[in-house]
Amino acid sequence: MYRGREGQWAFLLHRLSGLAILSYLLLHVFSIGSFIFGERFYMAIHHTYDLWPFRIGLVFITAGVVYHAFNGLRIIVMDFTGAGVAYQRQMWYGVMVLSVLSALYAAYHLYPRLIGGF
Amino acid sequence: MIRARTFMDARQQSHSNAELNWWIFMRISGLILIFLILGHIYMTFIQVSEADATFDAVVSKLSNPAWKFYDWLILALSLMHGANGARYSIEDYVRSRPNRAWVKGLFYTVIAVVFAFGTIGLFSI
Repeated sequence: MYRGREGQWAFLLHRLSGLAILSYLLLHVFSIGSFIFGERFYMAIHHTYDLWPFRIGLVFITAGVVYHAFNGLRIIVMDFTGAGVAYQRQMWYGVMVLSVLSALYAAYHLYPRLIGGF
Repeated sequence: MIRARTFMDARQQSHSNAELNWWIFMRISGLILIFLILGHIYMTFIQVSEADATFDAVVSKLSNPAWKFYDWLILALSLMHGANGARYSIEDYVRSRPNRAWVKGLFYTVIAVVFAFGTIGLFSI
């Protein structure tokens, strides 16, 4: 059964994380690329991105990228091996554990910034 | 050999399999992006403290051609991978044909503008 089981959530999360990463990428290219307009413009954007919702968002984007990367590997393994299909549920739980761990690691590592900003 | 007078003829006679090529592209670019992007996040986000990510740091890092190439490869591959992934979502969820046409047109325009902007930014240093 696919509906309502791990496979469906893996698919949905893969799409959502992919769209989230793409929107982050568009903002990221704009904000980093804005250095061509000079330091004042660049810093004005980066002070806006220093608001707390964006700082917390960075932890989620790390977890989202890790999820998308390792779930993508899971998809590739499923596409090319039969064993990958047989163990897709177990692999998905592995992917979820990796994503949660990397979110925790990023939050721990960036704790001073999460609390205090730059 | 394609002898088509209209677009519909051409489509019926074409033997190219664009969707298959995109399917393969998503797997290959995904594999490459895993290394490029996890490395990028580690080197510029985890390893470096935030106080170091200043305007001068960005400019001096990008003056190295190797980082320029690394970042441009991420830009090109991830925009293509992301644009095609979002195209799958648009085709699945935007149900009416006229809406799909303008949503896609707008979306591809944004992707092209961001790609041009990023490329100009990278190579203007």
